[in-house]
Amino acid sequence: MSWRPTALNVSFLTLAGWALFLGVLTGRADLVVVAVPLIFALVAARRTGAPAAVQLHHDVSAERLIEDDRVTVTVTLRADRPVPLVELLEPLPPRVRLEQGRNHAFFTLRAGEEVRWAFVLRCASRQRLHLGGPHVRSWGPLGLAAAEARSRAPQTVAVYPPLAPLRYPPRPLRTQTFVGNYVSPAQGEGIEPGDIRPFAPGDQVRHVNWRATLRLGPLHVTQHHRERNADVVLMLDTLSEVGAPGATVVDVAVRGAATLAAAYLARKDRVGLIEYGGQLRWVRPGSGRAQLQRVLDTLLDASVVFTYVTRDVDLIPPRILPTQALVLALSPLLDGRFVRAATDLAARGFDLVVIAVSPVASARAAVRGGRVTDLAARLWSLERRVQLDELRRRGLTIVDWDGVQPLDVALATLRQPRRRRVLA
Amino acid sequence: MLRLAAGVLLAVLVAIPLAVLPAAPVTWLAMPALGVGGAGVLVLSVPMVTTGASLALIAYASALVIAGPAVDPVAAIAVGATLVLLLALVHFAGRVQGAALGPAVIAAQVRHWLMIVALGVATAAGLTAGGVVLGPTLRDATLPVVVVAAALGALMTTAGVIALVTARKDPSAPNGR
Repeated sequence: MSWRPTALNVSFLTLAGWALFLGVLTGRADLVVVAVPLIFALVAARRTGAPAAVQLHHDVSAERLIEDDRVTVTVTLRADRPVPLVELLEPLPPRVRLEQGRNHAFFTLRAGEEVRWAFVLRCASRQRLHLGGPHVRSWGPLGLAAAEARSRAPQTVAVYPPLAPLRYPPRPLRTQTFVGNYVSPAQGEGIEPGDIRPFAPGDQVRHVNWRATLRLGPLHVTQHHRERNADVVLMLDTLSEVGAPGATVVDVAVRGAATLAAAYLARKDRVGLIEYGGQLRWVRPGSGRAQLQRVLDTLLDASVVFTYVTRDVDLIPPRILPTQALVLALSPLLDGRFVRAATDLAARGFDLVVIAVSPVASARAAVRGGRVTDLAARLWSLERRVQLDELRRRGLTIVDWDGVQPLDVALATLRQPRRRRVLA
Repeated sequence: MLRLAAGVLLAVLVAIPLAVLPAAPVTWLAMPALGVGGAGVLVLSVPMVTTGASLALIAYASALVIAGPAVDPVAAIAVGATLVLLLALVHFAGRVQGAALGPAVIAAQVRHWLMIVALGVATAAGLTAGGVVLGPTLRDATLPVVVVAAALGALMTTAGVIALVTARKDPSAPNGR
């Protein structure tokens, strides 16, 4: 860090020059005297010693947040030598608002003095927030010299999408081999009673159905349905997006995906994630809290990456997309490549549910309202309804979600047992 | 508060030429000086305040030429000190606008400014006093004496520039500056 003259020197030089010029021009000594304090200030501001080093400690109150949560940034300053004036500026990342305090401050420090500066940020939307540490600028007297430095104290705060409660997530058509919350059609160990059959060697006595035995004569046992879990793969469309930053259709879809992941993982299911976009990224299906964290961390970085390359679903390995899995595709259905991929998956026999996130609300929120906008939005809604009906006719299971109402309400249409459909 | 203080300093700056000659030509210059400088104080713009202060200086020079009073070092030093304080204050106010200020920041700054201005005033007073003493002596100076003095000044300026350019750079400074 070293002193550098500031733009204020130009003003001082200008006025000193004017005073001397007018003094010479008019032959008045008064005007030469006027220039003396200005020239003295310029000379006094020319500093030779190194600026006093300021020790900074940068801390955040939390490293993991939910959207709209607040984080307190605390900066502690300490100087061994007196500092006449030190300026601190913490640049605000995009989609972050200052909730309390200021992100720009000035302090005067005595030798050995410690000053604490804190401000509160509100994180409006999901992102990985990088707070790199404040810019530090030491000012010389009169502001004629300044020394700048950047305090490197990187802090990362993960702002996750909120997890809304989901009571009735779509039931998978097929179950897996591990214990879960779904009643499987297969007979075996479980608590849900199934058929009754004659006793066979090896049957446990506690399974004997005494009522049926008394009525029918020979011993009969009650069979039970197995309780199994399911594989659920969330497929997120990041090929296109509309809407204002932080409230795009991808952000809405990410919120839905996070809610679905939390709901299925709470039911002991294995949940995986495929980000189908310019970059094809995935999370292998798994279960437990660690898997939820993995899925949320991947969703945090989901974004639209432009590309002309169309990646086929064939690229996705079977261990990422098991054939027995329930595939929940969250998409605004704006890009034909995703529609083709979804149709392809359904044609291959995957249990596919498309949650069509409406882009109309996000787009309307991003533009100024008016008659033309309203008319365009209505026309777009009608076109979208026609598109969804067409896809339904082709055999896809589609849930229309406007992103405003809770996902649980949109998924209510799927509470009826679904049947496997054959694509037209 | 800082704007008010800057406004008072600007008013003082504009009032001094009017005190020397409260007549039409000076008034014509003082009014735009007050307008431009006042606008600069309002928006905390150092270039605008510099422009206003330059106009006030021209008004002061005009007043001195037209009225032709005796040399008044006190008024001249007051103008110089006011200019220093006005620029420093507007620059500081522009920087701290919208920022949090720690305790005693303004008090410490005012202390620093007053200290430098006091030293500047003392220097000006000393130079003025030296000029008063040396004036009669140099009144009969011949052309060679003036040339030698000018050459000495040019030599010192050149030496200063060379020292400035060849000064060792601080390796810790960003971009080697």
